[in-house]
Amino acid sequence: MQFGGESSEFSWIINLAFFAFIMLFSLYGQKIQMWQWLKQIESGLLELKRMFLESRQTAIDAFKNFGRPEDEVAGDLDRWLDYFTIMPVDLDPAGVIQRLDHLLDERRDRFEEFVGDLAPEADGKMRQNLENTLEVTQVMNLIFRVVRHYYILGKKYGSQIMIMQIQMQLPELLRIAKAYFQAMGAFSVGKPIGDGIGPLIVSKFARQYGATKEDYIDDLAREVGYYRVEVEGRTLFAVRATGPGGTVGKPGLAIENLVKQNSGDISRIITIDAALKLEGEELGRVSEGTGAAIGDPGPEKYAIEEVARKNGIPLEAIVVKEDEEAAVGIMQKELLNAIPEAIERIKASIVKRTETGNRVILAGIGNTIGIGL
Amino acid sequence: MGMISKIIGLIITGAGAVLLFWGMNSDPTYSFIWFLIGMIVMSIGFGLISGGKQPETPEPPPPTVTEIICDNLDCDFKELRDFEKGDYILKPIDATCPKCDGSMTIHGIYIIREKEEEIQI
Ligand SMILES: [Zn+2]
Repeated sequence: MQFGGESSEFSWIINLAFFAFIMLFSLYGQKIQMWQWLKQIESGLLELKRMFLESRQTAIDAFKNFGRPEDEVAGDLDRWLDYFTIMPVDLDPAGVIQRLDHLLDERRDRFEEFVGDLAPEADGKMRQNLENTLEVTQVMNLIFRVVRHYYILGKKYGSQIMIMQIQMQLPELLRIAKAYFQAMGAFSVGKPIGDGIGPLIVSKFARQYGATKEDYIDDLAREVGYYRVEVEGRTLFAVRATGPGGTVGKPGLAIENLVKQNSGDISRIITIDAALKLEGEELGRVSEGTGAAIGDPGPEKYAIEEVARKNGIPLEAIVVKEDEEAAVGIMQKELLNAIPEAIERIKASIVKRTETGNRVILAGIGNTIGIGL
Repeated sequence: MGMISKIIGLIITGAGAVLLFWGMNSDPTYSFIWFLIGMIVMSIGFGLISGGKQPETPEPPPPTVTEIICDNLDCDFKELRDFEKGDYILKPIDATCPKCDGSMTIHGIYIIREKEEEIQI
């Protein structure tokens, strides 16, 4: 190559270009990076919007089969998408659990009422599934609106910290949104999801000891009941939410009521739930520990812990490990394969840590969509 | 569209490369200009090759299957079929077992996914 040679009259251009390049990047490098990040957020945002619109359409398609025309369904659904619940004040924490419980009850009532209005011809099980569909659409809408808010704000005021934060959290948000988006199809047709593994284990366990669908007593709490079975000389109350409609019910209140019905004479409470696994851990791994395995906003867990403490009942937890995608997505084979081991562990615990004649509560926590009694 | 633009891109890239090398060895006064032109033409060619990617068509969702098992403990009949609306786990099936004429129950509903590459440590 010979440019910049001794006789060339163009060498100054190269020098100039070189300095211009350095100046440009040292002075405007950050601006260029912000622009790049904004572009990345924009494409993520479009993806979120697409997923939201598609899940909205899936919800409308699911609702319109039950007695109302499509345009009415769409209008009402849009009105409902940003339904909110105001968390109770925790500045004075006394009684905050009861207040939260009260608000959550009211929220459930409103949801049921809304689904009833929108799908008057749906039966009970279908209504629960529609309720789940609605909730997923709400989550999609919420993620989209929040990301859009920070995107516009960051762009408007050129706020680097805002753009940076959203750009860094975007992959995680997209991952969650995708998981919910894929769950949408499961909810609208009533397929079981990974979170339902707890109730399924309870039913399979009860069936091993001769319980049938007809033995299920549905009178404990909202959408929660139990089978009463004899296990190695112990009386076992196998608690779970009703199915196969999608509901988690109020298992905390159910356990509290059950303990009261037995006037505190319970020797052990075993809870079974899906728990978040760490990356690298095996999907469907069964592990056990102490405490109440339940992932609610607070009141249900509180009810279990409180009734156990008052009556001195040991709390034992058995969990099946899964990631968030698996928990909200359609059931996977690996999770079903964990059932025999979970059942063995429950049996071992009952035999080893309770005595003949004792009463034991076994509670399967989770969404019962697609899981029969 | 995709194939044609790739071929055109390849030709342009080749032309750019020829210009570039020719520029490097020609008259010193203009070699720099030819060099630059060669670079620009080549980058247009590369742009054509790598660009024009069609938006990925979303893959069809993986299938969900229903696993039906005969209630008779001595019978080992097991059937896998596509999920049908109305199926749920622990649902008794209307049909009887083709092997022993006993009743059957759905014991599993699950999705068949491709295994993702897991990072093993
Ligand atoms: Zn059979």
